[in-house]
Amino acid sequence: MALLINCPVCGKRNGYEFRYGGEDKGPRPDDESLSQASWCDYVHNNNCVAGIQKEWWFHKDGCGAWFTIYRDTRTNLEADTSADTSIPEVK
Amino acid sequence: MDRLKDLPTLRIRTEDKVSFKYQGRALEALGGDTVATALFANGVRIFGRSLKYHRPRGLYSLDGECSNTMMRIDSVPNVRAETTSVKDGMNVEAQNGLRRQGFDPLGFMDALSWAMPAGFYYKVFHKPARIWPVAARQIRKAAGLGVISPDFEMAGRYDEIYPHADVCVLGGGPAGLNAALSAAESGLSVILLESRPWLGGFFDYRSKLHARAAELALEVANNPGIRVFTNAPVVGTYSDGLVTAFQRGSKADCFDERYIEVRATSTVVATGCIERPLLFENNEKPGVMQVGCAHRLARSWGILPGKKAVFSVGHDLGLEAAIDLADLGLEVRCVADVREDGQDPRLVGELQKRSIPFYRGWVATQAKGWNRLRSVTLGSVGGAHERRFDCDTLIASAGFTPVWGPIALGQTKMRFDLHTGFFLPERMPQNMYAAGRLLGLCDPASIEASGRLAGLEAAAGRGLDVAARMSAAREELEALPGTVRGSKLAMAPVKGKKAFICFDEDTTVKNIDQALSMGFDMPELIKRFTSAGTGPGQGGIPGHNLPLYVASSMRYQGEVRPTSMRAPLVPVLVATYAGANHDMAKRTGLHESQQAAGGVMERVGVWIRARRFSQEKSARAEVENVRNNVGILDGSTLGKFRIHGPDALKALQRVYVSDMARVVEGRMRYSAMCNEDGCVIDDGVITKLGENDFFFTTSTARAGVTAEWIRYHTRYDDWDYSIVNLTDAYGVINLAGPNSRKVLEKITDADVSNESFPFSCVRDFHIRSIPVRAMRLGFVGELSYEFHVPASFAQSLWEVLEEAGKELGMKNFGLEAQNTMRLEKGHVILGSESEQRTTLHDIGLGGLWSRDKARWKTVGAVALTHTEHQRGRLKLVGFKMEAPASKPPLDGSPIADGRVKGYVCTARYSTALSQPVGMALVEDELAGEGCRLPIFEDDCGGRLLYAKVVPMPFYDPEGKRMKS
Ligand SMILES: [Zn+2]
Repeated sequence: MALLINCPVCGKRNGYEFRYGGEDKGPRPDDESLSQASWCDYVHNNNCVAGIQKEWWFHKDGCGAWFTIYRDTRTNLEADTSADTSIPEVK
Repeated sequence: MDRLKDLPTLRIRTEDKVSFKYQGRALEALGGDTVATALFANGVRIFGRSLKYHRPRGLYSLDGECSNTMMRIDSVPNVRAETTSVKDGMNVEAQNGLRRQGFDPLGFMDALSWAMPAGFYYKVFHKPARIWPVAARQIRKAAGLGVISPDFEMAGRYDEIYPHADVCVLGGGPAGLNAALSAAESGLSVILLESRPWLGGFFDYRSKLHARAAELALEVANNPGIRVFTNAPVVGTYSDGLVTAFQRGSKADCFDERYIEVRATSTVVATGCIERPLLFENNEKPGVMQVGCAHRLARSWGILPGKKAVFSVGHDLGLEAAIDLADLGLEVRCVADVREDGQDPRLVGELQKRSIPFYRGWVATQAKGWNRLRSVTLGSVGGAHERRFDCDTLIASAGFTPVWGPIALGQTKMRFDLHTGFFLPERMPQNMYAAGRLLGLCDPASIEASGRLAGLEAAAGRGLDVAARMSAAREELEALPGTVRGSKLAMAPVKGKKAFICFDEDTTVKNIDQALSMGFDMPELIKRFTSAGTGPGQGGIPGHNLPLYVASSMRYQGEVRPTSMRAPLVPVLVATYAGANHDMAKRTGLHESQQAAGGVMERVGVWIRARRFSQEKSARAEVENVRNNVGILDGSTLGKFRIHGPDALKALQRVYVSDMARVVEGRMRYSAMCNEDGCVIDDGVITKLGENDFFFTTSTARAGVTAEWIRYHTRYDDWDYSIVNLTDAYGVINLAGPNSRKVLEKITDADVSNESFPFSCVRDFHIRSIPVRAMRLGFVGELSYEFHVPASFAQSLWEVLEEAGKELGMKNFGLEAQNTMRLEKGHVILGSESEQRTTLHDIGLGGLWSRDKARWKTVGAVALTHTEHQRGRLKLVGFKMEAPASKPPLDGSPIADGRVKGYVCTARYSTALSQPVGMALVEDELAGEGCRLPIFEDDCGGRLLYAKVVPMPFYDPEGKRMKS
């Protein structure tokens, strides 16, 4: 795996130590008024952008934290988006 | 064969004799020999038979760029003889129908080549579809390389390492050595990868440059900042400075092959070049070889390539080799050079001095002979003149081609450079620097200087201030000879049909013409259609010629475009990727005790567990002992967790389907976790230790991922809780059977009567002085206690229990007995009675789901709502066999209307019921009580087993026994 991932707790580590947790889709919608289709959309459908994507990673062979990074899916390099305010920060 | 002696360039150790076997014959080699050079020295000239036409093939490049020399070595098929060091006791066998040297029962295939145009297999055999299986079998018998049996197991020692460095230099030739030195002298740590067994590249075997190569290699060896890996071909380059390679080890190493994954900030690519094959009629006959092959055979291994040789070359190294080999004793009949001019006049003078006829603008057009080369026809490039020479060796090379794979993998575009005739990178990928041949350089001094500059560029890229040294290095390089005009000739002027552009796949120039005439116009598509370059050697032989030939075709309009490169750049054994592959099984704290008690230990997931305590497969005695007396089981593998903190309850509400607010101290609660699709993934019990403080168990299989799961599903919530995996910190001992209370009462002061410690409760007390958390569970359906105890106390508790149970005749029981008893109770084991698609409703546990906790956004709840009444799902049912004497099905599937309608999950003979019972997941129309299930099994010989759906549990339906 070519990825190097910056864990907010442990720093830059080999991608082997992590598990991918999918695109960042924001918090789960409320159960009420949730149709089957909109539910499936949240759970299963992805944007699969060719470009910078915010996504979740788990440091499984490390500190055990879930965190997000911005990754350029075309180069597999972590993107620096510290100056980018267009992507809302989700805790 | 006598080897040449006293050459300073020799890489063989004449005093070091190695004996090995070839085709059953004992042969002798010398230390430093590869299998290929050892065989060649022993007179072997035919190394293999080609894939399609079974043409004899010989030594060609010495670097393993084609499948010509693939052999079966120590039972491993398709080993490259050219890159494998010969070892004592090695057993080498030829493959692909080459039963004995020089005879091939399928040799007639070559005469049929006219019947096999490009894309032949695809076009001829795919319609009608029914003939394909027959055709495929016959084709595979005739074609293909090597044989492997399905139960083949790879022997050998494999390993893996993950070194880090500031700079990774690919290639240990003059450019790479200089790059490594200049980077290391700047204070950087350097890793140098070289595919050959020694450093020096194309300096190493040349009389005038050998000393310089040795000097550089010594400097590198003495530099503590440089770590050198020889015998280590580069496999791939990736983003973030990742380089993968593998290394072949010798007897002295702790591995036969190991995977290397280098992580470096910068990469210097100094992979040099290989030779571009010359295309002419029969250009791959045994006896035809490349310049480097012939020259290195003599200079490194002391073997002359033949007696009488003709040279047909396209570069100065070819002229140099002709002169040098002539001086070493080879009779050089003549030298043809495709170039009309541009040769080094000094070399031309040396040829004249030796009276070797020299033909400018001439090229080999045809080789003749069958198993051995007999003669060569040379012609002028224009095609006007022709001459024939008798010879046993033709040393042929059209030009050079840089090894640009590592750069191309960096997603950069390769552009055809008209001056050098090379594919050169349009721009270098980030943090990657090229040196030597990859810059189009040819002159030895220029190549060295370019290496020094690349090393400094890497240092600058790393942020070091080397500006002054860099400009000096640049000036030095600019003062030296620059790029050299390269030969672009792709094809000698011949009309024949057997000019091979790809040896691995037996692709001829005629096949390319056919593809072109069918409308293919991109080299990459032609590669796919004709399969040129898709064989084991990848692009090594055709990589450069195919685009050149396509571009020279009348039908092709456009620039010269290379075919694409992919990792692995060289083939790697899967065993090497697997590396050390340590078995990481876990043992419980009670492992030794159970083994000593006669436990039949088995690997179950990551654990080693006791299946049973006798050789009797069904563990019937263990079942009967628990049902009638008392038994003891090691359940330490169970997942165990503590979750605590202000938001601990919220986190449990999120992942468990039940309402966790109803868990009270002193009582356990059984519940399950689902995934987002409502499919059940885990079950276990939850106990409350205090306010927002819980201890819960998970199935053995989920222990490793439960913390991750809970944290994942609360990742947006910023809840404050901690989760601790106590799986290995606690041992678990299960005491089960109607007499278990009697055992327990003997060793504890706590009140364990049914009144003060009833079923489904949890109590903390001491057994002797050991603190235990005891749970009254009913997994096996009897009165039962599960003791959770700090792992360090597990063995002591085990001994206390054994001692106390002795007079009652307490016995061990294992997984098999437990499985039978829980089956009789209709208790599920997830993964056994469920699969990926099984929802909580499907296994009849829908009642666990609390539907009024939407505000907790319970994982899976939405899907549980949607699937609650869904039709067409597999439902879990219990069944009894119709014939009480029938054997329980092992697995098998219920069949109806000729279709599979589900499958059997678990079935066992029930002693309590005196008949086989089981559970199955079946389509809902078969799930009704009383439905008849015709079960098909692999070995039932067409005689279906009949079962009937019955209500569960099979045993003690009211649960009186476990609550007693
Ligand atoms: Zn971490």
